[in-house]
Amino acid sequence: MGMWLEAMFGLRVAGIVDDPLRREFLRLGHAHGGLLALVNLALAWALLQLHTPALWATRVRLAAWLGSVLVGVGFVGGGLWHGPTDPGPVVLLVPAGAMMLVASIVATAMVRQSDAEPNKSS
Amino acid sequence: MTPQARASAVLFVPAAAWVLAAAAGLAMTSSQPAAWGPVATRGGTVGSADCARCHAEQHESWHASFHRTMTQSVAAGAEVLAPFDGETLQTAGFVATMDRTPEGQPQVTVRRQADGEVVFDATVELTVGSHRYQQYVARIDRGGGDLDRWRLPFAWHPEAGRWIHLGGAFLFPDLPEGDTDAFFRHFSRWNDNCVFCHNTEPNPGRTAAGTFETQVAEFGIGCEACHAPGEAHVLRQSNPLRRMLGGEGDPSVTHPGELTPQRHAEVCGRCHGQRIGKDVASILANGDGFIPGEDLGAHSRPILAEARLASDPDDARPFAERFWPDGTPRLSAYEYQGLLLSPCYDEGHGMTCGDCHTMHGQTPAMQLRPGARTEAACVGRCHTPSHYAEHGGHDTVTCQGCHMPRTTYGLLRGMISHRITSPDPAALLDRNDQPDACTQCHVDQTRDWAAAKMATLGFAPVAVPSRLRVGSRVERDLLGGDPVQRALAAHALARPEAVGAVERRVQALVDALEDDYPAVRWFAVRGLQAIAEDAGVRAWAEQYAFMADAAERIVVVDELRAAAGESALHATPAVWDALAAQRDDVAIAIGE
Repeated sequence: MGMWLEAMFGLRVAGIVDDPLRREFLRLGHAHGGLLALVNLALAWALLQLHTPALWATRVRLAAWLGSVLVGVGFVGGGLWHGPTDPGPVVLLVPAGAMMLVASIVATAMVRQSDAEPNKSS
Repeated sequence: MTPQARASAVLFVPAAAWVLAAAAGLAMTSSQPAAWGPVATRGGTVGSADCARCHAEQHESWHASFHRTMTQSVAAGAEVLAPFDGETLQTAGFVATMDRTPEGQPQVTVRRQADGEVVFDATVELTVGSHRYQQYVARIDRGGGDLDRWRLPFAWHPEAGRWIHLGGAFLFPDLPEGDTDAFFRHFSRWNDNCVFCHNTEPNPGRTAAGTFETQVAEFGIGCEACHAPGEAHVLRQSNPLRRMLGGEGDPSVTHPGELTPQRHAEVCGRCHGQRIGKDVASILANGDGFIPGEDLGAHSRPILAEARLASDPDDARPFAERFWPDGTPRLSAYEYQGLLLSPCYDEGHGMTCGDCHTMHGQTPAMQLRPGARTEAACVGRCHTPSHYAEHGGHDTVTCQGCHMPRTTYGLLRGMISHRITSPDPAALLDRNDQPDACTQCHVDQTRDWAAAKMATLGFAPVAVPSRLRVGSRVERDLLGGDPVQRALAAHALARPEAVGAVERRVQALVDALEDDYPAVRWFAVRGLQAIAEDAGVRAWAEQYAFMADAAERIVVVDELRAAAGESALHATPAVWDALAAQRDDVAIAIGE
């Protein structure tokens, strides 16, 4: 993504250099993608350290990964296909991705090994 | 609930619910006619600042434009270009002093020179213009009530860095000495005059009693002057889902670039084309009612050479002096009429204002699209390169140089004509009443020469009588033309593209310093200052005051003539006298 953006700037591609809204949202997508990759690594490490039950850990990893993808795709898609003043509807994926990420972080912090015991599962 | 289901619910259900809600919202918005279709009414205005919330880039380019500063309120922090630091302007027996009140507000005091009596004193409330010159408006109740505002008869010329009495900016002869009425002739009511084309959504608000309750949506030319009142648009676009869906425009607001060429031109022509209202009383009471994008002709008609006033049907051509004999406008603020008369306009199906101008470009002056000054404006769009090449031998001149010659007067400048025409000097042989494109640059040549030369550019040869004339076409216009011709002739002699010896052009310009019209003298002295190479001439030109008493001016003219040499026309009294006799000193009212 970064290399592609660099190339777009380097080649002065029309539709990128002359479109501030698109530039802003592509930049947001790139930045969030990079940062959220680190968040995913941090979550994976935390899940191991906290001995989070597998049934939660598996879903937390999936939610964090999916949430990160949705945030990145939302920003990039909203910037690539946008209206005159606002990003396109794809940007509505960003809040969905953010919800999954927040839920993943909260779950990682709160779920304990005992939460997997059968008597607490009903 | 199983642990697996609980985990999935916590992690995925909120996001899934959001996606479903967003999808439902998008579907609803996209299917709502109220979000997309035309609106019954545009509602009121919202102001340009509100537009910036979504259209920041367009707002920024507008903010840098002279449209924004067309009218400014001093109380709201207007960019007042004149110093108002005690400057004085001495004109025709009066002295105007420009300074400030103790609170810092600009004020003007006019005293009679003979006895020092104050004949006028006012505090400036509004500024009008900021490009060529800036005029000032004061609130003075002269029968119009509390909101009665008047344009003062002085302007600040930023380029020259000086004050000018408007008697010198408009094409009127010298003011009579000590005549108060003449001095204040250009004192003009703002409420029913300037307000129309210098503000957004103006409403003069004239009452049955003759007073004014004037209102404008915004001082200056704001966004809604071209895009129509924005209340309905803002309301519609307050739904973020509507903004995200975007789509093909929004009919609740006008986008001039998406209008037909005719409707587009009408948006500009409302102000850049002097007009006659259909119902003047209603316009003065309520405004003109024009919504950009709709039919301008429903509210007014453009003033053309043949236009008549319903109130004075006996006056056959009351506006004729504003046009050249062939109907081409010769004053500024008639650009719309120029376009209408151009073959390129093709009766509303061809070229329009936005083909050369852009309101959201990089350069505030002229607001031209990139390349609009070059042949790129014409060649490759409607005209083929081979067509352009047919003018071989003239390739140092752009299309505009010949097809849009500087035959328009306004704002103390010679401006390009917006009637796009093909030069035909042969059609004007033996005519003294209209300039031609060729001799406006070839200022050292006669029209006979120009007509004969057309054959060298690939046009059909014409029979031109062989005869000797004293003086070029422009030099003869400078002495024998009407005020517009004389002003434009003086302007042409000093243009960078003018052809001919500088010494000869300087001699002609010195002759123009004896003109009865201050505006002509302005062009002449500004031209001398621009092109004279002789240090003595330049020094005397700096001494020349174009609105000083004749006795004072003639001393400088004599010195200039001694330094520059006598022109061929001045050295030929018979021709000089004949040209002076043919002058037509019609006073021209400038409508800007």
